[in-house]
Amino acid sequence: MNDTRKVVVKANSVWKIFGDRADEAMAEVKKSNLSKAEVLEEFGCVVGVKDVSMSVREGEVFCIMGLSGSGKSTLVRHVNRLIEPTSGTININGVDVGSLNVEDLRAMRADQIGMVFQNMALLPHRTVRDNIAFSLELRNVDAFRRAQVADAVIERVTLQGYGDRYPSELSGGMQQRVGLARALAADPEILLMDEPFSALDPLIRRGLQDEFLALSKGMNKTTLFITHDLDEAIRMGSRIAIMKDGEIVQTGTPEDIVTNPADEYVADFVQGISKLKLVFAHTVMVPVAKYEKENKKLPAIKSCPQAGPEDDLDTLLTLVVDQDKPLVIMDDGKPVGVVTKDSLLHAIRGET
Amino acid sequence: MSDETITGPFHEFAEQSGDYYAKTFLKIQKNELPKPHINISAAIGSFIWASLRGNWFLFWIAFAIDLVTLVYLGAAYKFKTAGVDVIAQVAKLTEAGNTAAASNKTLLIERYENWTSSSVITAIVIFIVGRIFFGWLADRSYYRQYNAWRVDRTKRSGLKTNRLVMMAVILAMLAPLMIYRSTQFAPDARTCVKQERAIAKGTEVSFQDKFNCAIISDFPTLFWIDRPDKISYPRAEDGSRYIQRDAPTNKRPINLHTYTSGKIENVVGYLTAFYGYFFDGIVEVLRALLNALKAIFVGTPWPIMMGMLLAVAYFAAGIRITIFVGASFAYLALFGFWLISMETLALVAAATCVCLLAGLPLGIWVGKSALGKAIVTPILDVMQTIPSFVYLLPAVAFFGIGVVPGILATVIFAMPPMVRLTSLGIQHVPESTKEAALAFGANPRQLLTKVELPLAMPSIMAGVNQVVMMSLSMVVVAALIGAGGMGFKVTEALANADIGKGVLAGIGIALLAMMIDRVVQKANKQ
Repeated sequence: MNDTRKVVVKANSVWKIFGDRADEAMAEVKKSNLSKAEVLEEFGCVVGVKDVSMSVREGEVFCIMGLSGSGKSTLVRHVNRLIEPTSGTININGVDVGSLNVEDLRAMRADQIGMVFQNMALLPHRTVRDNIAFSLELRNVDAFRRAQVADAVIERVTLQGYGDRYPSELSGGMQQRVGLARALAADPEILLMDEPFSALDPLIRRGLQDEFLALSKGMNKTTLFITHDLDEAIRMGSRIAIMKDGEIVQTGTPEDIVTNPADEYVADFVQGISKLKLVFAHTVMVPVAKYEKENKKLPAIKSCPQAGPEDDLDTLLTLVVDQDKPLVIMDDGKPVGVVTKDSLLHAIRGET
Repeated sequence: MSDETITGPFHEFAEQSGDYYAKTFLKIQKNELPKPHINISAAIGSFIWASLRGNWFLFWIAFAIDLVTLVYLGAAYKFKTAGVDVIAQVAKLTEAGNTAAASNKTLLIERYENWTSSSVITAIVIFIVGRIFFGWLADRSYYRQYNAWRVDRTKRSGLKTNRLVMMAVILAMLAPLMIYRSTQFAPDARTCVKQERAIAKGTEVSFQDKFNCAIISDFPTLFWIDRPDKISYPRAEDGSRYIQRDAPTNKRPINLHTYTSGKIENVVGYLTAFYGYFFDGIVEVLRALLNALKAIFVGTPWPIMMGMLLAVAYFAAGIRITIFVGASFAYLALFGFWLISMETLALVAAATCVCLLAGLPLGIWVGKSALGKAIVTPILDVMQTIPSFVYLLPAVAFFGIGVVPGILATVIFAMPPMVRLTSLGIQHVPESTKEAALAFGANPRQLLTKVELPLAMPSIMAGVNQVVMMSLSMVVVAALIGAGGMGFKVTEALANADIGKGVLAGIGIALLAMMIDRVVQKANKQ
């Protein structure tokens, strides 16, 4: 896919090795390509992030999916330099984050990047409004302006009336909305979401996911969204990167990942995922010519059920039910492909 | 299961007199052992029985019983011979016609006779009661040994004569010296010093006397050190100090203790003579602080002060505690402790101020830096282990006697909880919260003032509470070096053995402490 939107966050072969002898280990890894286990044995160092390169474009929700310990949280903390890479660089809008001095880095963290944490990490001694305006306060914005901005954001996350409460008086879901509001208060270009909804119970999680999707559509913020839950990644992400042992194993759209897993690890993950909303007609259809060659002639197109190439399996399924005739996929008023019941069933089982 | 199969292991364990032990252990297992059951052979055989059976726990008990008996008999012998000596002396004195001295000594004879007979009686009682107790304990404890042996068959069992060797070694090592010690009057330290000097001069001293001084008296002085020069720091004509050394007038050598204490005195003397301005500076600052606080607490007329303190109590801690505070005030005022208790409060306030000013930054340093922790924590540990009285010493050494050294001793005593609780509070700020603050662009100062200190506040306030309470207790002790206040009333009463006044002042201090504690704690909670 050729995306013309500008690249906002770019990681260039980022490595992070934890331990006292990280630099030695790094040099040795570059020279002789040691494995993770070898580094641990020889240097007593843990490889957190292994040679990760990625670029996230403006307005994109880029999900980083991996199990705990896969290095996803470590990776995302490189973006605002809460963690320094052992090797490699991170660019934000072309600026190398590692080259910033302390003052510029703080300014960038406060103005350009908002972060949401799994455990909310709200300040218990401050009201919701003061929590939300925290980043502004750190930048010495005056109290009047802070209150204005905070109230506006409170409205956006639908927490009206809770501005003067303390976080402990709020439910988990509401607290995480405060966390989100705090990240949005400075109107940053980039949002880093570190498993924001993982600690919430499923119903509230779903609600917040939907709310966030709606919010993010209107805001056009570049978002790095971390999760250990593939369902969530698929719901939220316009692209997904799957991490394992500090490496990115596969990057792609949800459909890519589900229909075309790069290796067994990813395939294992994807197995249990429902394909109904992820796979589209153009991947399962057979071109008309091929269909006619293998089978018989297509019945009159008018009498067949019809669908577009971008319709998902769920839609196709409702069309084929109680129908004998094959489904015809129409593009620009011309038939481009055919989907039979058999091919549909195979697609649902993930056998395309 | 028949009794025989159960008692099999009993026989195997006991080897000799298996029937007896099988019967006894079976009774123990069935909970049928009569309460007064006694193992006669154990009661008679005592520690020999215990060592043959290999039960060293019982051995030490039996050995102790018999040893104490023998020591009392030894003491009886000691008093008897001493009595005989005195009788001989009395006879000599009467012969010389010194009847006054003789009648004095007759009292001594009576006393020795009393001691002799009471020692013999005690020995007999301990022996009989002890042996009966041992006989009672023997089978019960032996059964526990059996249980241990059931689990681990290599444990001691049966009856083995080779264990008597071990017993003989222990006996030879302990018994003779203990019994010998009981028959001798131990020489005092002075006698022993005299003896050493006599030996140095070449006088013959009997082996027994030497032995007594070296072994059964205090630990002997191993070496003598020549007296060092006397050092003083007089002023020259221009007012500056200089060091003067004088050869000691007394040539007698001294022991390690005297030598080292002299050296310490020299060092302290040197510091106060040449760096006096440093200590004076501290004294001046503290005195200024104290005077200001005294002006508030003591200088304010009592109706205003009392009203103000009650108001503080009311707003900080509510009506119930205010009533208690009011009652305490009534006690203090009616018994004439008002001004002096206000003086005590001023002292506590001064000490608390210094503790906070010094303790908070120190606590932050300890909480945030590994180096600070490594340096300060051991010092705090030592500070908290030292008994409070010992703090008075350095305070007096460097600052003399008076209120300021009293406050300083109090500060040293009361500061550790402030440092500890502050650092604890700082360390317990969740890593994730700090990370969040950093992620939003906080600088180190903002992190400290906007995140760490507010989150550590409950812990810090607990530290303040501790500091106040410890200051109060130490201020009372510091009265010994002239800190004044309520403590002075107590020390005064102690010195004069004035029980009534002491009780009144003691109750006053207790009320003061409870009052402060209640108010500060309640205020913390709100």
